[in-house]
Amino acid sequence: MNENLSKLFKQAYNHPESRLSVDIWHAIQTKQARSLKIQSLFYGFVGVLSLGGFVLLSFYIKQQFSSSGFFQYASLIFSDGNLFATYWKEYLLSLADSLPVASLGALSFLLFSMFISIKKVVYQYKNQLLIN
Amino acid sequence: MQSEDDNLIKRYLEGDQSSLKMLIDKYASSVYNFTSRFVGPLYRDDIVQEVFIKVWKNLKNFNKDKSQFKTWLFTIARNTITDYLRKKKSIPFSSLEDGEWTEEDIEDESILPDEVLNKLQNKETLLKIIDELNDNYKLVLTLYYQEDMTFKEIGEVLGKSLNTVKSYHHRALIVLHQKLV
Repeated sequence: MNENLSKLFKQAYNHPESRLSVDIWHAIQTKQARSLKIQSLFYGFVGVLSLGGFVLLSFYIKQQFSSSGFFQYASLIFSDGNLFATYWKEYLLSLADSLPVASLGALSFLLFSMFISIKKVVYQYKNQLLIN
Repeated sequence: MQSEDDNLIKRYLEGDQSSLKMLIDKYASSVYNFTSRFVGPLYRDDIVQEVFIKVWKNLKNFNKDKSQFKTWLFTIARNTITDYLRKKKSIPFSSLEDGEWTEEDIEDESILPDEVLNKLQNKETLLKIIDELNDNYKLVLTLYYQEDMTFKEIGEVLGKSLNTVKSYHHRALIVLHQKLV
């Protein structure tokens, strides 16, 4: 490297106003706060929707359990233990057959998305506190 | 071994906000000086701000195994300036053919001997002459002499080979010499 040329270039260094890095930091913080707010609103909305769906689906599943005879099958195990011991394979198959599998899958999904939303909202809230 | 920048990035990604502030404090002047070679005073600050906002947004995608933070930062700065100048319809970094140069007989050191450099002692004269240079030349000289980056690192910023960067540097010194004598 040509040392003299290097010295000359260093002399011609263009320095910013002292406020520049403060302004950049504020701009980033503003954008960060806005982004966290939008994400909190989004996950909050998803959380409320999941909760609503979970409550409605719970009532529906309760009805499905009654209409499919699940409770009757289940009560057999307590009323006639010998029958269960003899025909346990058939009994378990019938019990599984009476389960509303699709609805239970949907209920699990809603429960999962509700917990994820709560986790995300708490995380965004913590970040907002850190920024402020 | 992890560099200081890599440590700051790691700490920021783990939730330490002040690490990002330290990165900004460390590099704001460099990016400002670099930007000021290509952009007028009116939009300079906005572009520097945009560069750091892009850094903040993409920091989690930064791969320290691929490049150094400084090289990555100046690549973002170069792209941001290119976008800005494109919008202004002045096309940067493209007026030179990309063909690689064969090394010339003259050594870089002897292109600008001290007698010629003495004419450059005035900061304003140097800035004026740099301003008249081609964008690629400006970029190479600025990063090499002001930011102490290697030709290899400058090649990463420009997306050009080592030999191309060396030839840009060589040609830039020749142009400087021509303007001074």
